[in-house]
Amino acid sequence: MSETLIKFDNITKHFSSRKGDIVAVKDFSLEIKKGEILTIVGASGCGKTTLLNMVAGFLTPSSGNILLDEQPITKVEPRCGMIFQHYALFPWLSVKKNVEFGPKINGVSKKMRREESAKYIEMVGLKGFEDAYPGELSGGMRQRVALCRVLANKPDILLCDEPFAALDAMTRQIMQQELLRIVNESGQTVLFITHSIDEALILSDKIVVMSVRPGTVKDIYDIELPHPGKVEVQLTDEYLKLKRQIWAMVEEEVKTSMNIVSS
Amino acid sequence: MEGEELGLWRSSVIGAIGLLVFLSLWEILVRTNVIDPFFLPAPTQVIDKAIQMTTAEDAVLLTDIKISATRVLTGFLLSVLVGVPAGLIMGMNPVIRAAINPIISIIRPLPALSWIPLSMLWLGIDEQQKYAIVFMGSFASILVYTTDATMRVDPILRRAAMNLGASPLQILRYVILPGALPDILTGLKVVLAIAWTCVISAEMVGANSGLGFRIWTAKEWSDTGQVLVGMISISATVLVLDILFRGLERVLLPYQNKGLGNK
Repeated sequence: MSETLIKFDNITKHFSSRKGDIVAVKDFSLEIKKGEILTIVGASGCGKTTLLNMVAGFLTPSSGNILLDEQPITKVEPRCGMIFQHYALFPWLSVKKNVEFGPKINGVSKKMRREESAKYIEMVGLKGFEDAYPGELSGGMRQRVALCRVLANKPDILLCDEPFAALDAMTRQIMQQELLRIVNESGQTVLFITHSIDEALILSDKIVVMSVRPGTVKDIYDIELPHPGKVEVQLTDEYLKLKRQIWAMVEEEVKTSMNIVSS
Repeated sequence: MEGEELGLWRSSVIGAIGLLVFLSLWEILVRTNVIDPFFLPAPTQVIDKAIQMTTAEDAVLLTDIKISATRVLTGFLLSVLVGVPAGLIMGMNPVIRAAINPIISIIRPLPALSWIPLSMLWLGIDEQQKYAIVFMGSFASILVYTTDATMRVDPILRRAAMNLGASPLQILRYVILPGALPDILTGLKVVLAIAWTCVISAEMVGANSGLGFRIWTAKEWSDTGQVLVGMISISATVLVLDILFRGLERVLLPYQNKGLGNK
């Protein structure tokens, strides 16, 4: 349980633009342990998506290394499975074929693929929709397919880029509980990004609050609320106390970030 | 009623009535000598002519249609074989795109007719020259349609595929091609109609068979009936090809016309 899976080793990332250099992330260090659900919370513009894209290998740090099992990530890394905010499903493939995409290109036999996809599709509660196309599904169902597609590729860590932000409040709550159930079943490590403190509190073992531009670790909270995040948790005193604390921390950053945007 | 869609059945009936009224009016105007049949024969006379041209011993109409259609399809398929792969490469590679774009901008505005002198000097008036005209008239458009279609494929889908472990070649085959296919097919449908105008022009200028040639020679003999039969044959052939093309689309894009959309 306590083995380190991902290590951010003093990461800095800047982008050059016409207006000059922007330091998105500065001196960011963090460890994610195996089996942990870690959430990064921060105002928009704090560089949290940049961090996630660096773990996935879509971006490379300007300095510092991100280590996966002690090896630096240098290219797009399929072991870090990404769940995108807007699902990113292939509209021309059925649910089943979407789920089998990863195994197929990685050379898993057809028979194995069928068995695996059936298993995962059942796990996320989409049995009966195997042959539907993404265009026929609701937002919540599409995100289940996306989750399924990543799980079928057996990643070491799930990277979640505000995956429920586009869903309505009720669907979001259901999806959060579903994610917890699935993750607890499989012992999957998760790095989750959100700007919802409630979502972070419900899901996480650990919450990292980020400061705004340059993005860096502002504070870390170990969450020891009863899992798996039942709705009632949100009414307990510990929950409210933590929420107040974290909000106070984030509020400053949100104000700073609004100034950056408006200036 | 306003703004409502008519059903297929009702709109077909109304369409048929419209056509019938138009033809009757035309027939009456000719029969009453308001229009001189020498300039414009009546519909019934055109039908007589068409029957004569398909059943007489030296009947040429069906052969002409076959010859023209073969020329169009050969030239068009050659264009597709070259233009679609080239467009995919241009859409994916900005360097190649930047290098080729100026050349395309010079070739694309040229009407196919303007290629006739050069192609006749190089190839005479045999079949290759017709293929060349169709090719020159459709190639640049196919290239541009395919390039645009490729560039419109949502970059997040490429990322998702990379994240699942796809190589650049696998992304081309399993993401870019199917993702661009709907727009490519729409483009091809437009270009196929252009290809017809190319072949008809080429046949009018230098040929001894085909619908364009038949219309042109009929004009020399002031045989307006034959001119009209030739023109209607072009319409009919394009319509049939269009229907075939729609069928092809339904087979290749089964996920379209299903569900809520393709988001």
